[in-house]
Amino acid sequence: MQKASIYPLGGAQRLRHWRDRLSAQAGLTADPLEQVQITYYDSFDGRLYAAGYSLEQTHTAAGAELRLLRDSGRQLQAALAAALPVSGFPADLPPGELRRRLEKLLDMRALLPVATLQVRRYPLRGVDDEGKTRVRLQVESVGLLDGGGKPRMLQKRLLLQPLRGYAKSARRLAAGLARDFALETATDDLYALALAATGKRPGEDSGKLDIQLQGDMRADAAARHIAARLFATLQANEAGALDGLDSEFLHDFRVAVRRTRSLLDELKHVFPASLRQRFTAEFAWLGNLTGTLRDLDVYLLKFASYRAVLPSELRPALEPLRTFLLYKQQQERVERLTVALQGKRYHKLKQRWQRYLDAPLAKRPVARDALKRIDRVAHRRTWRTYKRILAAGQAINADSPPGELHALRKACKKLRYLMEFFQSLYPPEQIQVAIKALKQLQDNLGDFQDLEVQVVSLRRFAMEMRRRGEYSAATGEAMAVLLETLETRRHQARDRFAARFKRFARAQNQAAFKRLFRPAGGAKTS
Amino acid sequence: MITVACYNLKGGVGKTATAVNLSYLAALGGAGTLVWDLDPQGAASFYYRIKPRVKGGSPGLFRRKRKLAAAIKATDFPRLDLVPADFSYRNMDLLLERQRKPGTRIRKLLKSVRGQYQYLFLDCPPGISLLSENIFAAADVLLVPVIPTTLSLRTLEQVLAFCAGEDYRHLRVVPFFSMVDRRKSLHREMIAQRSGALEQALATCIPYASEVEQMGVHRAPLETYAHASPAAGAYRELWAELQRRSAAR
Ligand SMILES: Nc1ncnc2c1ncn2[C@@H]1O[C@H](COP(=O)(O)OP(=O)(O)OP(=O)(O)O)[C@@H](O)[C@H]1O
Ligand SMILES: [Mg+2]
Repeated sequence: MQKASIYPLGGAQRLRHWRDRLSAQAGLTADPLEQVQITYYDSFDGRLYAAGYSLEQTHTAAGAELRLLRDSGRQLQAALAAALPVSGFPADLPPGELRRRLEKLLDMRALLPVATLQVRRYPLRGVDDEGKTRVRLQVESVGLLDGGGKPRMLQKRLLLQPLRGYAKSARRLAAGLARDFALETATDDLYALALAATGKRPGEDSGKLDIQLQGDMRADAAARHIAARLFATLQANEAGALDGLDSEFLHDFRVAVRRTRSLLDELKHVFPASLRQRFTAEFAWLGNLTGTLRDLDVYLLKFASYRAVLPSELRPALEPLRTFLLYKQQQERVERLTVALQGKRYHKLKQRWQRYLDAPLAKRPVARDALKRIDRVAHRRTWRTYKRILAAGQAINADSPPGELHALRKACKKLRYLMEFFQSLYPPEQIQVAIKALKQLQDNLGDFQDLEVQVVSLRRFAMEMRRRGEYSAATGEAMAVLLETLETRRHQARDRFAARFKRFARAQNQAAFKRLFRPAGGAKTS
Repeated sequence: MITVACYNLKGGVGKTATAVNLSYLAALGGAGTLVWDLDPQGAASFYYRIKPRVKGGSPGLFRRKRKLAAAIKATDFPRLDLVPADFSYRNMDLLLERQRKPGTRIRKLLKSVRGQYQYLFLDCPPGISLLSENIFAAADVLLVPVIPTTLSLRTLEQVLAFCAGEDYRHLRVVPFFSMVDRRKSLHREMIAQRSGALEQALATCIPYASEVEQMGVHRAPLETYAHASPAAGAYRELWAELQRRSAAR
């Protein structure tokens, strides 16, 4: 599509007035009024926006259409004459280009409405003697539907749309318009207009972690700042987790909980002991409460890959497992999560935690490290945790029991959180390299433990399904094949551990960690 | 970009009707679509109400790199553009002969628009010539309308024999029944039998229908003025089937 020119229309004149005047002046053919409602969609964390895309759903008298665009709405990537499915998941769209593109961009995330515009438009056309349209002009008003009944007017304007191969007609019309109207260089991108009006960027409220600290901050102030950021993430994801819009709300909610627990635990001597004890218990409760539901989410996300390991004739036989998982998921959500998050204990937890975060810093804090510089505390904690991991990892051999790997995984998680909390205190490139090295080890340990948990859970599900009579011989066979594959993968992950750890612990990485975290003058600790 | 050439050795079998209606449906479905009206008679250009004229004619197109892109005209429908016919196309063969690598000259020319569209439809003139060779080399799908008569079956076999060569291995020849009159027993029999080359014909048949003839009066794709007619439904089904086929390859 060629770039349009925009001429804002001032004054209180109605659209119809402009239409009549322009069609008479420029000899344009007028078409009937079009009313379009445009809703823009993105994931909660703004994945489309971040990748330079926009997704719009237009509603006209002719029906709904979905369009994926790039380059400020100028380049159509894919379209479909359909409305978005209520689930918001691209996977529920009919197969085709649009679905393929969206699935790739969004992964497991659902689409949610970002803003809705109401456009009223009189199309005018310059037509030649063959009845062919050579130039299009629209007299239109753009309003934002923000909850109230009537749209909030954003712009009344003329939009001149040149058509490919007919530049001369567009130029001639533009020259005529220039006598009466001021050309605005403003954007023809309605999405940008809508976003400017709402004052929000997609993904802005998703509570992505961004912690900025100064090295000489008081440790208790820094810790509280981190805790406040985590609490914001937790709250941002709460509603979506309750509604189960997609699996990532609960996931991010849980990560915020786990990070908060880790913070309380790792910065032991920065928080007052009594407070630490109370909230450690409360956040642990919140974590345990959501664990089963998260596991079910994961199995459902993995379901396609479960199917894929089966020979194609066995695949349909796995469907009862999906039904079972969906049933359990629903049950967990309604009977545990909803009850808990709407209950007193959670309400109090939030209230009290907020009160603590808002309270002024103690003048003479009781906690031992509260007044220390945060960078010192950060170096020391991170360095210790790192060294513990090195020692524990080196002690693991081919015969070590799984428990040792699980413990190592936990320690790695702690280290990861510490590094993320204190990221801003270190040179970005160096810390990224260290995080990446750690992540590779974590992936391996994660695979190993996740596969183990999956095998145990799936066995239990199989038993439960059998009890409920949802278990044919074919389903039994499918489950057996699946379990066997997962077992094999678990062994493979275990076998890979040695090499992965060796890589993590290689001299070059050790030097990098040392450079970053070893406390100054701490030669004796190395 | 997937290039679909609407082609048959025989004239008057529905090539242009196919190119116009399918290109419209492709664009309607969301795909950026280009039609190149290669027939000097300019029927496709006429249906889209675009003057059959290209600045510099075919000599210009072959001489300068960006000429093809410059010749593109927007139709009255979103996402759908057209390169018009030009009277000079009648001498295309003479012109092609004088080029380097005359058999693949058009394929080379199309490179300049490849990234801009998802589909290109070529509306081809009848006959077999150096231009047709160029079309076979440039197209991914050779969509051949066949009127169900014994003579048509023979011409289809000639086309297939010609395309069987090494140079056209990439090309998928896809015949389908066009202008089908169910009242004629010969039509019914040929469709039922699908003998010889017709074995690979698409399942969808385009019926003989006055609505299609009226395209000349409306000067627009069938879908825009007779959406509810069986013929419009048949074109929609044809397009869906063709997409399924090219997805399955
Ligand atoms: N399904 C149909 N039913 C009735 N008439 C049709 C049908 N398809 C095409 N026609 C009419 O038959 C004539 C030839 O059709 P068309 O121009 O599409 O064929 P063609 O193969 O492109 O012809 P040419 O070889 O001359 O380019 C036209 O008048 C057209 O309107
Ligand atoms: Mg024709």
